[in-house]
Amino acid sequence: MDTVLSGLATGFAVALDPFNLMLVMVGCFVGTLIGALPGLGPINGVAILLPIAYGLGFQPESALILLAGIYYGAEYGGRISSILLNVPGDAGAVMTTLDGNPMARAGQAGRALSLSAVASFAGGTFAVILMSLFAPALAGFAVTFGPADYVALMVFAFASLASLVGKSTVKTLLGATIGLMLATIGIDANTGVPRYTFGLPDILAGIDFLIVVVGLFGMAELLTLVEHQARGTLKSLPVDKSFVSMADLAATKWTIARASVIGFFIGILPGTGASVASAVAYGTEKRISDKDGTFGTGDPRGLAAPEAANNAAAGGSMVPMLTLGIPGSGTTAILLGALLMFNIQPGPMMFAQRPEVAWGLVASMYIGNVALLVINLPLVGLFARMLTIPQHYLTPLIAILAFIGIYTIVGNPHDLFMITGLGVFGWFLRKLDFSLAPIVLGFVLGGLFEDNLRRALSISGGDWSILVSNWKSLLLYALALLVVILPIWLGRRARANAVREAETH
Amino acid sequence: MANRIFAAVLLVVTLGYAVIAFTAIKAPFQYDPLGPESWPRILSIVAILCLLVILWKPDDEAFDVTRKVWFRLTAAVAMLFGYAELYEPLGFILSTILFGTILSAMLGAPLLRALGFGVAAGVAGWLLCVTLMDLNLPEGELIAPLFETHQQGES
Repeated sequence: MDTVLSGLATGFAVALDPFNLMLVMVGCFVGTLIGALPGLGPINGVAILLPIAYGLGFQPESALILLAGIYYGAEYGGRISSILLNVPGDAGAVMTTLDGNPMARAGQAGRALSLSAVASFAGGTFAVILMSLFAPALAGFAVTFGPADYVALMVFAFASLASLVGKSTVKTLLGATIGLMLATIGIDANTGVPRYTFGLPDILAGIDFLIVVVGLFGMAELLTLVEHQARGTLKSLPVDKSFVSMADLAATKWTIARASVIGFFIGILPGTGASVASAVAYGTEKRISDKDGTFGTGDPRGLAAPEAANNAAAGGSMVPMLTLGIPGSGTTAILLGALLMFNIQPGPMMFAQRPEVAWGLVASMYIGNVALLVINLPLVGLFARMLTIPQHYLTPLIAILAFIGIYTIVGNPHDLFMITGLGVFGWFLRKLDFSLAPIVLGFVLGGLFEDNLRRALSISGGDWSILVSNWKSLLLYALALLVVILPIWLGRRARANAVREAETH
Repeated sequence: MANRIFAAVLLVVTLGYAVIAFTAIKAPFQYDPLGPESWPRILSIVAILCLLVILWKPDDEAFDVTRKVWFRLTAAVAMLFGYAELYEPLGFILSTILFGTILSAMLGAPLLRALGFGVAAGVAGWLLCVTLMDLNLPEGELIAPLFETHQQGES
């Protein structure tokens, strides 16, 4: 407890520095703007703005605070396009459309927006509080992890990724492997042997992380926007004067509490982020409280549950990223890559070695949550106006921002061709129903995975049994197996039940 | 079908990756049991297995891209490559004006407005990024001399 309090004190000292405070505000504001743009989710927003934030040359903690603010803001802003347009910005916001859009269509757009802002705030704050209690303890435990345990942890992370993310397990696994393979390009740090560089000096140091992220997310998103352009314009519903009432809050308080808990713990699972959390929270809430069948027709509880859950998951997915160095979602994988660019290795030692970064980030989330609520309630009309930006201006703007960001890193025009090429590749992947998050996760974790495997085998002198030689790794393999088998088993059982019901009717 | 073609292309690439991992990568000397080649070998095997599964049992998805949309996409990609090609020679402002105008016009913006958008993006982007945030963007080989003579004229 002492470490938590003193850590928080350090963190708030960093985050309340006027400059950093301003960055939290700017980040939240810009993030909400980006999140509100139709079709542009948090992950794309963070991906496009990351190189620019890097190019500004701030201190690591300041840059990270700015990025986390953008991430948080984008999660907030995503609900605006879900509610008013019925177009979710990313997979995490799909559930918000189910009850949010019907409410707006019934002339309660203002009420829906303000209720979801409050639910997001509650979920987010709950997650940050739990995070500041849990993270140091988990980091303290993770210090005892050896290389073999890290290998097991990675296997667990990829197993939960493969089983919970995306439609097809094989495709997710293949995506992660593609990411891992991309990460092997460049000079091998242990032996100095170049791998897959084909004599090109541009990639001797490996493909830059920013290029992969901006290419796969930003540019692929742009091509998707171009593709959808022909399919008619979007129509935004107007924001009215209705507002969330005390009665609404009283009716949804338990919903929000339940959804926050669910969201946080699902967020912690490596590899699964807001999309799984909001889906599970919505499903649970529907089972518990949907007695009159009002879910899906504009029930405030159906709106509050996924919103609280996805913001809690955004906080929860920070926990494994900060304490283990294993990101809990695609977006945190990008934040992890950002840390690595500043030469900070996230993981158990970060809380001890760079407390100003770790705790500064945690403290900035407390502030960010409050800031978002304050920004969002009065300014929602302004953000809603972002929705009316015609797509034919938005699309070139994404390219211009991406080019600025990538060019400012090292000023090499070859990088611009690389992001365009990766964008085309990413568009094909998306079109074929691959999710892109596993690729980034694989790319970010590739080096760590390989290093730990090689280190473990160096310790044992080449004996592979070291990988299963202690209870921590065995437990993690068991969990990995469970994550893979449980959904299959549950799916079988649900199908069997459905068949039985069909027979009795 | 699209899944199969894509998987087949990836399979060819992965086989190339595997061949290099199994034959070309070698450390001149090493003390560790796992050298630089082991990890790529493991990865290539996993990837090949995944690809074979996809080839064997692809999801049957329609790749619903009409000829018109293909044309748009190709044009957009060509513009992006052109933008990248001209980024340094023309400089940020001119290349952005060009790219912004043409792409937004292709996507359906009225011509004058597209031009307005392009000019606004180029000039405002430059002012915001270079003047305000001090980022490094290309001036352009054509424009740079103008800047220099201008500055000399001032000094």
